Amino acid sequence: MIAMFRAVLYSQWKWSRLIVVLGTVAAFAIPLLSLQGAARADRGAMQTPELLRAVQSWGTLYPLLATALGLLMAIAAWAPDHRGRHIHALTLPLERWRYVLLRFGAGFVLLAAPIAAVLIGSSLAVLTATLPPGLQAYPIALAMRFAFAVFVAYAVFFAVSAGTARTAGILLAVIAALILVQVVASMANLNLDLFGAAQTALLLGPGPLAVFAGRWMLVDV
Amino acid sequence: MSRLLGVLLTVSVLASPVQSQDSLIARLRRQADSLLSAWRDAQELAAVADSLEQVRATAGSDTIAVGGLRIIANPSPLPLREAAERAWPVIDSLYGSAAEDLPRYPYIFRAVDPDSSVRRTVLHVGVELPWDLDLRGTSTVLLTTVVAPHFDPVLADWLGTALRPTLRPQDERTAVFVQLVTAPSEAVRRCFLGDIVRCKVVLQVGDSTGLVTQWYVTPAEREALVTESFADYFARGATAPSLQRCRQHRDDACTALLQSLPPGSLPRPLGHAARLVLVREALRAGGRDAYRRLVASPNAAIEARLSSAAETDIDSLVARWRNSVLAARPRPLTLPWWAGFAAIGWTALFGFCALRSSRWRL
Amino acid sequence: MNDAIHIERLHYRAGRNFAIKELDLHVPTGSIYGFLGPNGSGKTTTIRLILGLLRPLSGRITVLGLPMPEQHARVLGRVGYVPEQPHLDATLTVRELIDFQAAFYPRWDRTQADELIQRFELEGDHLFGRLSKGQKAKLMILLALSQCGDLLVLDEPTDGLDPVVRRDILSALIAYVSERGATIFISSHLVHELERVCDWIAVMDDGRLVTEAPMEKLKHGTKRLVVLGAPAEIVNPPFRVLTRESANGGGAGEHWVVGDWEPGMTSYFEGVGASVRDVIDLDLEDGFVELLRSFRKGGTRR
Repeated sequence: MIAMFRAVLYSQWKWSRLIVVLGTVAAFAIPLLSLQGAARADRGAMQTPELLRAVQSWGTLYPLLATALGLLMAIAAWAPDHRGRHIHALTLPLERWRYVLLRFGAGFVLLAAPIAAVLIGSSLAVLTATLPPGLQAYPIALAMRFAFAVFVAYAVFFAVSAGTARTAGILLAVIAALILVQVVASMANLNLDLFGAAQTALLLGPGPLAVFAGRWMLVDV
Repeated sequence: MSRLLGVLLTVSVLASPVQSQDSLIARLRRQADSLLSAWRDAQELAAVADSLEQVRATAGSDTIAVGGLRIIANPSPLPLREAAERAWPVIDSLYGSAAEDLPRYPYIFRAVDPDSSVRRTVLHVGVELPWDLDLRGTSTVLLTTVVAPHFDPVLADWLGTALRPTLRPQDERTAVFVQLVTAPSEAVRRCFLGDIVRCKVVLQVGDSTGLVTQWYVTPAEREALVTESFADYFARGATAPSLQRCRQHRDDACTALLQSLPPGSLPRPLGHAARLVLVREALRAGGRDAYRRLVASPNAAIEARLSSAAETDIDSLVARWRNSVLAARPRPLTLPWWAGFAAIGWTALFGFCALRSSRWRL
Repeated sequence: MNDAIHIERLHYRAGRNFAIKELDLHVPTGSIYGFLGPNGSGKTTTIRLILGLLRPLSGRITVLGLPMPEQHARVLGRVGYVPEQPHLDATLTVRELIDFQAAFYPRWDRTQADELIQRFELEGDHLFGRLSKGQKAKLMILLALSQCGDLLVLDEPTDGLDPVVRRDILSALIAYVSERGATIFISSHLVHELERVCDWIAVMDDGRLVTEAPMEKLKHGTKRLVVLGAPAEIVNPPFRVLTRESANGGGAGEHWVVGDWEPGMTSYFEGVGASVRDVIDLDLEDGFVELLRSFRKGGTRR
């Protein structure tokens, strides 16, 4: 099984190495850039709000990067198999779920690089910057949030990509039905907010995308 | 003779404008008296209207008494008594012995249909509450609409808000902590770092002369304040050139512009929550009669009133305020304990969906 | 059971227009089994059913003694498969593809793979996507042979290849069978090619089996007869009449194509007042064509 995993990991690395490398570079650079130049001692008390503004602005890039990485890695994990109509994968001498698990796991291993880059980049940025009094750095919390976001995004897109055209059709049909019901409800003056409910279900509490909705601050009060 | 005539002539010439001035003053005085009389009449009428309105609003209503709270409300499912039982200890703990005076300021509520499209008579007295408001909501209404007894305008001006009980004192202190750290003011920063004198300055409980340079210590702060908060205000008329110079980092221009602002317009470096927490600290330190002492001398300086309420000197009170604020530092920015499990759970679920995809099912 | 592949009463439907009906196949262990049929006859679908890529509606498939698709993981470890279209990832090199495949097959023969690389003149660092059609086919065969399976399933492996490559591939297959005693199930519509290597032949048309017989029997039992004076109706012939038509307007007798022919059967015609003027040998291709013609007219399995 280890040899199989190594083989799958290598093939997946070859397919997605550009994504992994670029993602890792971005993940390393964003925390450094977010603190670069923002904390200027000559600005005195002005530097704190300035720094927080900069950190907050750059912070929006982490969930975007996590989503992009999850999406592209999931696409890369399946693209060659999709091109070959899965004949090769299906004729390999192992249970199909094991093969899917190998691909899934290989993606996680490759995504460890950008996650580690966020941790290292954040730690470096914090170590090299002089933070104004009262502010605290959260490199580990940020890296953990990024890791969870990347994992969830990858899993979502991996599942969608592993699905058939029929599954994708069902998903689109459900979304279209939601839109239709909402439009009809609006026209009929019914107090129905399906999008709001969907947003709440997805983003709040233990929703699947809740990890994306928090504050992505490397430095905060 | 001719000299006498000359003197008389001179006196009459000089006296004529004085005479006309006297008549103008008399006329103006009469007008003022007339206006005052009309205002008194109007006020009496308004008082009669108010009392009639109050009678109309409270007609057929019940009075609920819990502690010093008096609630006049029409019969409804609103849990007013239970809410009052919850709110009273909180109110009593803030106002202390002065809370005994609250029966003079009863709440007047009218329970109304929650459906806002239902027509109802307009009342100018009291507060309308939807009858389906729950206990928590009703308690919050009682806490946020209570009339602070003997609350004087000087105290209100300084505080910038009403002094009412809070259900979340910790959140209030946390908000002040954030202000202390993030306010773009060197004075606030020094206060955060332990300079009590600066704390007094930014809380406005000390010397109130030269506030511009006391609150905004560095030229950069002053320039930022002018260019970011008052650029539009100063961009027109005689102040436009000064604004231009201020933008060119001329501190004298920036300072002059800020000093030219109307009284009370200079933004305070700390929001009202900071002063509110200071008052709460004073009341907490001073015991049950602290509030009574706070409002006892409306003409005294704020620092003296606070000292009197807290029965301690102002420096100690401010130090105590600072300590309580620093102790309320926000929780570290970490994921809630369940978020990691939820993310892993969702990841596993989506992974399982991929494993069970119909693509692999024969 | 002595069959490498055993199929009983297999039924499968793909869409509205195509179905495999009542298919029975028996591929003897150690044989080279040719699976003939025109395009669209159901060869590839049958192969996918054999490999467990599709689930039949009814019937039973046993491969190397194990039921399919239930035991597909165990079976596929002993089966080398070369699909009709090369399906490997174009961005991996020859060496990377070999390494990938080696990881999944416990009986992978690295020496065999290296030998075949040399023999097929493949470059290890060439990308699969950049290989010529012939090189791709060779690599697919290399991968199938190096996993040392007991059964090779080849779906038109030499289709569209030049004769040199075809010869290389076929000789590698024959060498493999002779060395390991493996079974080869090879589908093709290139009849001449199968004629040279197969010892069993099955013919499919329109999702049904036309015939399944040893190559010798099929090849030597299918004859064209020139018959004189034959009656319109003949009763219980010892051979199978595949086609019967007048030769040159009728004066020169009739041309019959028969199956299951044996040399002594001319006496049958004498018994019904007719005579056989000539017995002509048919090659596999002619026999295949006549079989199909007969099948399409009659619609029953012979």
